[in-house]
Amino acid sequence: MVTGMGCVSGLGLGLETTWRRISRGEGAIRVAERQMAVGEQEFGFSGPAAWLHRSECESRLVTRDLRRLGQLDPASTYALVAMLEAVGEAGLMDHPVLARRTGVVLGCGSGGNATIDLAYARLYAQGRAKVHPQTIPSSMTSAPASHIAMLLGIHGPAFVLSSACASSAHAIGEAMHMVRSGRLDVAIAGGSEACLSHGSWVAWQSLGVLASDTCRPFSKNRKGMVLGEGAAILVLESEAHAKARGATILGELAGYGASSDAGAMTAPNQAGIEIAIRAAHSDAGIAPGEPALISAHGTGTAVNDPVEAAATNAVYGPVLAGHTVIATKSAHGHLIGATAALEFVIGMKALAEGLAPPVLNLIEPDPACDLPLALEARPIAHEVLVSNSFAFGGLNAVLIGRKAA
Amino acid sequence: MAASRDAIFQIIARETSLDRDSLRPDATLEELDISSLDFVSALFTIEEECGVVIDPDRFGPTSTIGELVEHVSSQTQG
Repeated sequence: MVTGMGCVSGLGLGLETTWRRISRGEGAIRVAERQMAVGEQEFGFSGPAAWLHRSECESRLVTRDLRRLGQLDPASTYALVAMLEAVGEAGLMDHPVLARRTGVVLGCGSGGNATIDLAYARLYAQGRAKVHPQTIPSSMTSAPASHIAMLLGIHGPAFVLSSACASSAHAIGEAMHMVRSGRLDVAIAGGSEACLSHGSWVAWQSLGVLASDTCRPFSKNRKGMVLGEGAAILVLESEAHAKARGATILGELAGYGASSDAGAMTAPNQAGIEIAIRAAHSDAGIAPGEPALISAHGTGTAVNDPVEAAATNAVYGPVLAGHTVIATKSAHGHLIGATAALEFVIGMKALAEGLAPPVLNLIEPDPACDLPLALEARPIAHEVLVSNSFAFGGLNAVLIGRKAA
Repeated sequence: MAASRDAIFQIIARETSLDRDSLRPDATLEELDISSLDFVSALFTIEEECGVVIDPDRFGPTSTIGELVEHVSSQTQG
């Protein structure tokens, strides 16, 4: 059961703000300009991204005693703010279950970029012999899990896993299994990513997959993906534990399927994607024929969109016409390790509200991407969400959610 | 590069996540619950911003904030 949800992204802080903007067709992709001063030099980049004001997030943490956590990379800051919203909503702050029967499973693609960038700049640009002593503990990819565990007094298993753009889908899915198996009563699961640093930006640019304009999933003349940043967290709870304490059930995480393409590092594989989608349906015990809200991976790259569309048509066949496909990266960008969690949270909210948020920025439908897209906000009666993540390196994860009864 | 005593206090406050007001000169690192990692973080930033080199072995848990500030201040003179 899902008993809490929280998120921060370019769309804003908190699920209510995020939903209000995305359901009205507002997007968070605009020109990002980040500068980093290194001694007398300045490094920076400028380009379309769905970025956050880090200081707004930090102001949400001001009342907390964070001294023990040390210096926080934005990846940790975002995770903490999203977690506080989710755990607060679940009514679990200071609850006894946190100490021994709760775990933390987060996804992150690239760790503490801002901290690493600054350290490398000191090393290479300034020729310094030392970097900040907290460079390692602040930037290590696992830091957000430690920080969450420290803030909540969690002594159960806590870790971060990584599978590029599918990281938080794998994290949520594996956390689901930990609760199902009885290892945990509660899991704090999701993802965080803060990769809008100069070094990371240049690396992404150099790969040649970033759009110069915006993110246009499934559109003719789409030019690529747009990076985002932020975090999204779910509180997953066993049905027994949730009911025993009278928790409000927001929905159900019904299934999870994962697969590996074993193909190429930056091109998706239709067969691999189909395995993950079918596996998720099988795990959930929900047939592909049941009309569902499909939250596409929909990055807006030349290669992802047609392969995803072909796989979707192959799995669902003629019944696809009864489904609704959304592509929320058009609004919040691609949050890499956090994107699956944000998309799942938005998808569950869409089921609860009975409304599909519109796919933004489409110029003209691409015949190679034949999908029942919600090009305008559309009332829906779906009870099932299928949330897709098909990552670089051919790592795929699909989550299936069910609307609360 | 001369650094004012106040600037040194501000660096320590920032790196240890403590209020400037709680950094009484007679308070020890132990009393203020300043971990060794926070302490070397403060030294690092002092070194960066004040252009000095500070030997961390001069200080221990019972050293006071005042001793640290005075030592840094004396290193930055002239």
